[in-house]
Amino acid sequence: MAGPARLLSRGELARSKGRFGAVVAALSLIVFLVLVLGALADGLFYGATGAVRSTNATAYAFSDDAEGSLIRSRLDESAVDTFRGAPGVESAGPVGVLLTGGTGPEGDIDLAVFGLEVGGPGTPTTLVDGRLPEPGEQGVAAVDTRLERDGVSIGSRVSVGDVSVEVVGFVSDTAYQLQPTLWTSVADWRAMRDAVRPELRGQPTAINAIALVTESGADLSAIAAALPGTTVLTADAVGLAIPGVAQQKSTLNSIIYTTLAVAALVVALFFALLVLEKRELFAALKALGTPTGALGRTVLVQAIVASVLGVIIGTIVARLFGLVIPANVPTLFRTDTLIQIAVFTLVAGVVGAAFSLRRIARIDPATAIGGTL
Amino acid sequence: MNDPVVDATNAASGGPGPAPSTEAPAHPGALLHVDHVSKVYGSGHTAVTALDDATMAVDQGEFVALLGPSGSGKTTLISIIGGLLSATSGTVRIGDIDVTSLSRKELTRFRAERVGFVFQSANLVPFLTARENLLYVATLVKTPKKAAQQRADQLLEELGLADRAKNLPEQLSGGERQRVAIGRALMNDPDLVLVDEPTAALDTALGRQVVQLLRREIKDRGKTGIMVTHDLRMVEYTDRVFEILDGHLTHVESPSTLGH
Repeated sequence: MAGPARLLSRGELARSKGRFGAVVAALSLIVFLVLVLGALADGLFYGATGAVRSTNATAYAFSDDAEGSLIRSRLDESAVDTFRGAPGVESAGPVGVLLTGGTGPEGDIDLAVFGLEVGGPGTPTTLVDGRLPEPGEQGVAAVDTRLERDGVSIGSRVSVGDVSVEVVGFVSDTAYQLQPTLWTSVADWRAMRDAVRPELRGQPTAINAIALVTESGADLSAIAAALPGTTVLTADAVGLAIPGVAQQKSTLNSIIYTTLAVAALVVALFFALLVLEKRELFAALKALGTPTGALGRTVLVQAIVASVLGVIIGTIVARLFGLVIPANVPTLFRTDTLIQIAVFTLVAGVVGAAFSLRRIARIDPATAIGGTL
Repeated sequence: MNDPVVDATNAASGGPGPAPSTEAPAHPGALLHVDHVSKVYGSGHTAVTALDDATMAVDQGEFVALLGPSGSGKTTLISIIGGLLSATSGTVRIGDIDVTSLSRKELTRFRAERVGFVFQSANLVPFLTARENLLYVATLVKTPKKAAQQRADQLLEELGLADRAKNLPEQLSGGERQRVAIGRALMNDPDLVLVDEPTAALDTALGRQVVQLLRREIKDRGKTGIMVTHDLRMVEYTDRVFEILDGHLTHVESPSTLGH
């Protein structure tokens, strides 16, 4: 049979819909806000780091002064061979990066051009349509699916300066610093670089970094020691080293956690008021023989129900909102972020409600008798 | 021990008790024994004696009134009897249970199983229907659902509330609410029913009805009832009257002289 806590929590939820509606609405708004912030954080993070996350490379080697930035790093192509022989390295390949503007079928586009030995380390693993350039093949490229919005399709030509390549495939989730990427041979990349950065002409063997596939558990500093003046970072660390990424992540995360703390406070205040209002009733129920634990469970069950409803409604609203966000706002609604935020909201609700438990425990059943006289 | 000590022997028949005795319990057959119970709040200079060496015995099936002005100690006494307040000294026994020796947790269980309370302002759960308010206390003693529902329906029927079973307290009149509270007090088939100023929120006619009903339910079931009241008009429905003044408990031999 239903215990006292179930009867009380169910009865109150069913018959005090107005007040619970208010706290559910507050929690829904908070969940909505947090989910949109989370989507923005994920969108920024994934949009900034796709090019180093969605490849087969496990680590990258940079020049020391680059501080982990692919753009800032300068190495010579000859270093690739040095790293191929380094301990714990399975394979190594050159990476050239160029952030630039280009021209697609519908006009100007932003581009991050990646030049590499396609098929070797650093090659995207997220091909969704067409094919990747063959090793050694020139004049062709695979591009990020984001370029579909700019009218690019398989067979389109994309040019940077006077150098143009044919699109032969699409890869997904490979954006770099929120720009769509173009993956081509080192030679094509270099030709594009020379076309838009005349000051770099005459450096025919310069590359930016070296993509590495390392053995699991390999000692990265030992690998870096193979060539003095270089640093080796994991692909994850490279993502965070992209200018702004770590800062964005920590800023947005602190907003998210602060907002969740507000959710805990909202729940805490709501139940504190509810318990305050029910002091007389709770005293009477205790006098009737209700254990304090049953009253505490009532409040916790109500907090969990309110939090779950808040998560469900907030999620629906956030996803609907996601449909109307302009495409150029980098948002990404991820299931694991949703689960994380749902769990945090539940915890916030329970923690908030838990503040009322002490208050409930302190209610003296003796006050139920002789009350007003 | 110079205070008058009251013994309740034979009170059920309405006759006067035997010679007062300072040794309690003088009445082995009684359901309730209050034995030299005192309650002192605070200590030293600021100590306040709310209840001074109270002794009484009440038989099973008796309905007694506990009369006294505000602040006299009647709330303190009934709270100690009901296991809501601990006594500074003395013992309270209900049947074979020494209430004064129970732990806090045991007291909670004791109240749920053995005591029915009717509060001044009904104090029903506002978001549960009349029937659910009765079923609620059944959950405290883990009564099987079917049995609890049958008992609740039967009580509501007896109390003339069958057609109000699905109403929330706010949809009930004051008298109806107090009747639901009486049903709730009887729901778990307690030994003792403690009633705190049941008519405080009602007009005289309604108050009489409620107390009459209370008497009938207690008598029909062979329960023991104690009603705290300051309303002399309700005394006629009780078997015996105890009066409490400044913490001193006395048995009123002839209630008709009260208030004169």
